Amino acid sequence: MIWRVIALVTGALAILAGALLVAHESPIVAVQTLIHGSLGSPAAIAGTLRETTPLLIAGLAVFIALRAGLFNIGVEGQLIMGAVACTFVALRIPNALGMILGLIVGMIAGALWALPAGLIKAYRNGHEVITTIMLNNVALYLTSALVSGPMKDKTSQDTATPTVDAATRMPWVYNHPPVQANCALILGVVVAIGLALWLKKTVAGYELQAVGANPTAAKFAGISTQRVTLMAMLVSGAIGGLAGAVQVLAYEGRFYSGFSPGYGFDALGVALLAGTNAFAVLPASLLFGILSKGGTALQVDGVPKGITTVVLGFLILIAAVIRYRKVNTVA
Amino acid sequence: MKGITKCFGAVTALDSVDLDVAAGGIHAVVGENGAGKTTLMRVLYGALHADEGSLELDGKPVRFGSSREAIQAGVGMVSQHYGIIPALTCLQNLILGAEGGTILNIKAAAQRAEALAKRMGFQFDWNSDASTLSPAGAQKLEILKLLWREARIMILDEPTAMLSPADASALFESLDRLAADGATIILVTHRLPEVLEHCNRVTILRGGKRIDEKAVADTTGSELAQLIVGGALDKPTTHRQISDGKTALQITDLSVKGSRGDLALKGIGVSVRSGEILGIAGVDGSGQRELFHAIAGLVKPTEGNITLDGVDFAGLSAADRIEQGVRVIAEDRHEEGVVEEWSLDENAALGLQRLSPFAKGGTVDSTARHAMAQKIAERFSTKHGGLNLPMASLSGGNQQRFVAARALCLAPKLLLAFQPARGLDLKGTQQVYDGIRAACAEGAAALVVSFDLDELLEQCDRLVAMNGGKLLEPLDGQSKDRDAIGRLMVGAH
Repeated sequence: MIWRVIALVTGALAILAGALLVAHESPIVAVQTLIHGSLGSPAAIAGTLRETTPLLIAGLAVFIALRAGLFNIGVEGQLIMGAVACTFVALRIPNALGMILGLIVGMIAGALWALPAGLIKAYRNGHEVITTIMLNNVALYLTSALVSGPMKDKTSQDTATPTVDAATRMPWVYNHPPVQANCALILGVVVAIGLALWLKKTVAGYELQAVGANPTAAKFAGISTQRVTLMAMLVSGAIGGLAGAVQVLAYEGRFYSGFSPGYGFDALGVALLAGTNAFAVLPASLLFGILSKGGTALQVDGVPKGITTVVLGFLILIAAVIRYRKVNTVA
Repeated sequence: MKGITKCFGAVTALDSVDLDVAAGGIHAVVGENGAGKTTLMRVLYGALHADEGSLELDGKPVRFGSSREAIQAGVGMVSQHYGIIPALTCLQNLILGAEGGTILNIKAAAQRAEALAKRMGFQFDWNSDASTLSPAGAQKLEILKLLWREARIMILDEPTAMLSPADASALFESLDRLAADGATIILVTHRLPEVLEHCNRVTILRGGKRIDEKAVADTTGSELAQLIVGGALDKPTTHRQISDGKTALQITDLSVKGSRGDLALKGIGVSVRSGEILGIAGVDGSGQRELFHAIAGLVKPTEGNITLDGVDFAGLSAADRIEQGVRVIAEDRHEEGVVEEWSLDENAALGLQRLSPFAKGGTVDSTARHAMAQKIAERFSTKHGGLNLPMASLSGGNQQRFVAARALCLAPKLLLAFQPARGLDLKGTQQVYDGIRAACAEGAAALVVSFDLDELLEQCDRLVAMNGGKLLEPLDGQSKDRDAIGRLMVGAH
């Protein structure tokens, strides 16, 4: 077992080094650039944490659906719907009230965007992967239309909404540029802790995981698998919407066409890497954040950013090999 | 096989076991759960590697690195858990992995399949999905799979555990025929009558050691039973006086649609008194499953009433019924009874998760759950390596002990037991039924389905039979009459 893991890791590193050499880059310099670009300075760390925030919250959205046995690929769509709805509210209601309402409305929008997929899965057994992918596309083009038309900032050339007032944005816990940390990250950590405790300590959390692990046995245990499936999809969508709302209120300040560079998809990797434990989403999203930020630094050096995606792919594979091993009968 | 030793961690599953099987004939391997029968067979079949010991086939030493090599050498095994893929047709399942070439010749395959089936006296609709097979059908298909691969040595692990008496005797007829044709069959079983009637030799295992090997002609059932448990068996305490308890479960005119849209239950009526164990005899697929599902609230009946202690079940969810005291010992413990990758601890609460002491308000009481898991494991002496290990680490029999004990742990009012002793040895079977009787002595009522009529006659207070979706009650005074029940099982009066 351990040898297989070592072989995989060595193989992955060798392939990466080979790829870099072919691209006429020194692997050692590349790794240095990556680490320096993501963790080498206060500004780099601040940037990494900023990248980590949406990955963490969206990762938790994917994670909770996975625990219920659902593969919610629609977090991307739920995230942008949450972002657009939050922007709409935050532009109209000022100050802390607008911020809180914005977050809530963002969650509601995300949940509503997951609702059709949840209903179809629970009551018609239509596969959630198909339905959520389709809803992603609808969300993408719908929001693009909104920021080109009714929600567009008329004073600007960009296909974007106006910017949310600073007083309505989420506050910085530490703000001495270039070193910055937004309370959004803390919110993400709180959600992770809340989910972990909920899954471990509540009967509802137990039932959700039973449905995910063995739906037939769950039914025999008196659990309404349909209701749990629908609820899990709604909660996942709400957290996905929250990720979008937080991105607007903490960092972006507005919604624009091409708002998400694929946070919802990277979140799938985060959740798969994290496995069965909500706390593990924290380091998993941080790792994705480091590679994302460091990847940008690599790009400046002329190494394709895609190389970090390759690293992530290998990591997920290795995690899968470690996790899904056979159980031996002991008695 | 000589001096086979196999350890799992600290547990020695096999301790220097010898097994000599002569060519041609049926050789039985018997022993309690955890005696090492299945482990020994898996070593022989190449699915496990022995830590020590050697294997000889036709006088030549062999080593099987995998079950593929074993198959090539002519050794095949049908395990307790069938390897049938429901979504494929029967024919596709039959030839899977042994298609005999890169290009499929379906026509030739179908012809050869039909010839094999005919030789065994089996009937198959080769083009229908394997999911439509009854357990008996699946078992037969597994045996054909071995014949398809031209196995000379066939290992059958508890082949009759899921079969009705009629199917079981048909199976043994075919096995006898195969043995007469020169095949060597190794039969792992708990059922001593099978050994005595059909086998030539028998090897007894206990606690991972070979206790004895005997010619069946030279031994008796009671001698074997003693060798298996290593001491005298307690006589079961079956004939007891049940007080004239009040009616607990009352079912009237119950009809349920089956999976194919036809009626699987056709206007059933029956009542069970508190304290009573009602046995339901019948061949597999007579409607027992649908009856249990309707009572547990897993399917909605099209017609009819179910009441328990006067409470009408119409409109009560499965969870409500569990709260009313309904407990199920499910037919298929893997699929319906446990979450295999969860720990024993977590599985202890499954189905009882909303009840005290497992839940406190809406929260999980993990201290209480751990204590209950311990009790559940101890009740029927489930052998395990720790309550925090996954359920999948337990053998089938030990899982069954755990599942049965769990159903009994919180004062059930109505017990629905589908083959509660499935895969259990004599002592385990007795323990589980004693447990059911103890629950009934406290006022519960029990419905027991088994395809083993003798087990029902021995363990239940009263028997009824199911056939073709109807429930038939014997005449007064015949409720434990083997012949009368047997006639009802096939639909004759």
